[in-house]
Amino acid sequence: MLPFNVRLERRMDFPWWRNALTPFLSVLAALIVGGAFLAIEGFNPITVYRALFDASFTSKFGITDTLTLATPLILTGLAAAIVFRMNLFNIGAEGQLYLGAIFGSWAGLTISEGLPTILGVTVVLIAGAIGGALWALPPALAKAYLGTSEIITTLMFTFIGLFLMKYLIFGSNSAWRDTEVANFPQGRKIPPEARFEAFGNTRLHWGLIVAIGIAIGIWALIRFTSLGFDMNVVGSSPNAAAYAGIPVRRTVIIALLISGALGGLAGATEVAGRAFALDPNGLELGIGFTGIVVAALARYNPFAIIFVATFLGGIRNAGLALQSLPGERVPVEVSLMLQGAILLFAIGGEVFGNNRLRLTRRVTTADAIAEATA
Amino acid sequence: MTTPAIAAVAATKRFPGVLANDAVDFTVFAGEVHTILGENGAGKSTLAAMLCGLYQPDEGHVERNGEPTLLRSPRDGLAQGIGMVHQHFRLVDRFTVAENVILGDPDQPRLIDQSVVETRVAEIGERFGLPIDPRARIADLTVGQRQRVEIVKMLYRDAEVLLLDEPTAVLTPKEVEALFITVNAMTAAGKAIVFISHKLGEVMSISDRVTVMRAGRVTGEVATADTDQRHLAELMVGRPVESETRRATAKSGQADVLLECRGLTLSIDGQNAVDDVDITLRRGEILGIAGVAGNGQRPLARLLAGIDGCDAGSVAVNGSSVTNHGPLAARNAGLAFVPEDRLGTGLVPGLSLTDNMLLTRPRKFLVDRKGARREVGQAITDYEIKTPGTEAHARLLSGGNSQKVLLARELASLGTEDGPQVIIVSSPTRGLDIGAAEFVRGLLHEARERGAAVLIISEDLDEVRSLADRVAVLYRGQIALQGRTDDLTIEQIGLAMAGVSADDDVGASPAEVAG
Ligand SMILES: Nc1ncnc2c1ncn2[C@@H]1O[C@H](COP(=O)(O)OP(=O)(O)OP(=O)(O)O)[C@@H](O)[C@H]1O
Ligand SMILES: [Mg+2]
Repeated sequence: MLPFNVRLERRMDFPWWRNALTPFLSVLAALIVGGAFLAIEGFNPITVYRALFDASFTSKFGITDTLTLATPLILTGLAAAIVFRMNLFNIGAEGQLYLGAIFGSWAGLTISEGLPTILGVTVVLIAGAIGGALWALPPALAKAYLGTSEIITTLMFTFIGLFLMKYLIFGSNSAWRDTEVANFPQGRKIPPEARFEAFGNTRLHWGLIVAIGIAIGIWALIRFTSLGFDMNVVGSSPNAAAYAGIPVRRTVIIALLISGALGGLAGATEVAGRAFALDPNGLELGIGFTGIVVAALARYNPFAIIFVATFLGGIRNAGLALQSLPGERVPVEVSLMLQGAILLFAIGGEVFGNNRLRLTRRVTTADAIAEATA
Repeated sequence: MTTPAIAAVAATKRFPGVLANDAVDFTVFAGEVHTILGENGAGKSTLAAMLCGLYQPDEGHVERNGEPTLLRSPRDGLAQGIGMVHQHFRLVDRFTVAENVILGDPDQPRLIDQSVVETRVAEIGERFGLPIDPRARIADLTVGQRQRVEIVKMLYRDAEVLLLDEPTAVLTPKEVEALFITVNAMTAAGKAIVFISHKLGEVMSISDRVTVMRAGRVTGEVATADTDQRHLAELMVGRPVESETRRATAKSGQADVLLECRGLTLSIDGQNAVDDVDITLRRGEILGIAGVAGNGQRPLARLLAGIDGCDAGSVAVNGSSVTNHGPLAARNAGLAFVPEDRLGTGLVPGLSLTDNMLLTRPRKFLVDRKGARREVGQAITDYEIKTPGTEAHARLLSGGNSQKVLLARELASLGTEDGPQVIIVSSPTRGLDIGAAEFVRGLLHEARERGAAVLIISEDLDEVRSLADRVAVLYRGQIALQGRTDDLTIEQIGLAMAGVSADDDVGASPAEVAG
């Protein structure tokens, strides 16, 4: 056992520069640790990072691909942020995304045809948002009325959503499945009217603009509306909310539904912008879970989410590019490891940003209890 | 003269936008009680926090027995025999007294012998007049008893310097007497005591010396032998203070009833916390609810304000029934409520003053921050609230200043069409300096003059008697006694608070007054 106790003391002051600096330092630390691993594996970290940066951010198709990957991450990041800041932990954006894709592609297949593109796409998005919100509804009701932990329910619903999506394509001759292709089961393509228009000859599509617009909308919701205000109060002081007559249950339910709708929108933009069909393999990428990382790194700030999503999108994008690095074939796992390291350091940064580490002489067990209960 | 047990030497502490302590010199000798007196936000708690290690001075330092010392945490403070009793207790509810006492004590052996601890707790209790059952659970103790546990905890660790931050604010007069016996026993045992209070009578009777602070600076130091209350008040506020209570008698009789409850009952854990309570409150009247803490004041206030639902009975505000319709219905009917728990219920600690001003405002689609900011600005001027600005978090305000913000919000637009008609205030002047207390009493009287009805709930009997036209005593959730303040003697009220029935002796019977 160590001859001293390690303990965390809550800091009493919160200067803005520390809030702003922490995410950067976290990412830097992650890159250093990742670099150490690369070095052990015999790669030159500088070369790899430069290639990574180039592949994701500085080359034309690099940056557009990165932004394409960032688009759904912005939305799932917002989905996590809007409720996490209220201490409501909807970790099921992943499942809400699948439902958004299911609803969105259904609408695209059945309603959009013949409509002007702008309407056709809007229909897909609205249906996706409804699907995601519906998927968040049972956990929201259980939370508000039974006090059931939303962490568990939203996670369980994620798996139900995943298997539902797979069943619709692989397990049945549903309306989503393209029955004309015999060899490998795949989703029926939505008509062009239901698809986002791309920018030039890139893969980047209008979904990015929609996602940014929604980020601004969420910021305005939190900042300017009474609903956003009530959400703040419910999140930071339920007693004060009850005193003020804020309908706590309703606010919790609405917040979770908005969160679910954002997750659903992420699924719908993927369908309308990238997959053009209900495509289980193309959707099961952990976009919903990564949204949690995005939200945490962005400290739940909608604008910061746009940048963090772009950054993480770039790291994902680089994973593919790295494999074709001339001379240095870096495994795709490196980008996954980097992402994990960034998450770890982001959480660590949060802890050390709010607390101060202190080493003290080892004392008794009673002491430990005091610490735990203080 | 000997060296002081503890001293602050030119200690300066800054918070964003505030100079909380400005080169403060302060000494306490063994065997004396030294009081820090000052307006809300003067920097008293900050000074005490530096002396016990909770904060570190930005400039200057702390000396213990004449030696400069660095206290990096309250634990360092305790290791050097310095202990602080905060106004918000830091006890674990589910643990027993003995368990709480040894919690976090670095000198405890690895295997704790419960009986040794219990014996020592009992010994300390005996010696310093702090009777307490070491096996009682904190959750079952009254506020006064919990405070005793905090003090025992410090004495158990052989604290030689004790800092008591507004200890009497939460005590009944009887408990204050008991605390003072303890304080005297501690000074007799050579301990040095730092005492903080806004109540000048207490300050005069318990302390040897008084240091007066204003806006972070020490403005004077006097021996209590050389001063009196009036002089202290002047030192503190910087101008003569009217110390007379000015309770004008209410206009009699038949004004309209603004608040009425009948047979109000709420049971908590199988016991009637509020038991068949009838209250009738008329326009232009102040009713004071007296009682020992924990006799149903809190649940009663919450029922009347619509926060909790009742099991039986009815509440009507301004003629409309709001029974079990929630706090919004009560507020829309014209009721304003200032809860006892300021930070956490009345105010949201993590939100700005501007946002806190919006908490009980009617909701439109968009929030009106501009208007709220203006209101906060106005309140800062009117109520002399000390804050770095309208966007400061409520958490950062001193105790008295947060109370002022809350009152400003709830009493806003008083006397106008949409202003409150019925005002329920828990402990209106608790934690306020005398200037601010005077100001709040003035406000409540003004509210009454303007035709509002005021219900004051307080454990401070003097406060109730000086403000209220009528007094009702709550005992075990029931109204044990009710009558005009002038018709009731302090003894009658005291007996009713203690649960001794005295219906026959009272001039006005409850029924008569209620009707
Ligand atoms: N942690 C903090 N961060 C920022 N400002 C603070 C903090 N603690 C206190 N202050 C400010 O410092 C000033 C002094 O506060 P302090 O709590 O010492 O006052 P006080 O004399 O104890 O007042 P009261 O009688 O109302 O309790 C106040 O203006 C307060 O707002
Ligand atoms: Mg204070």
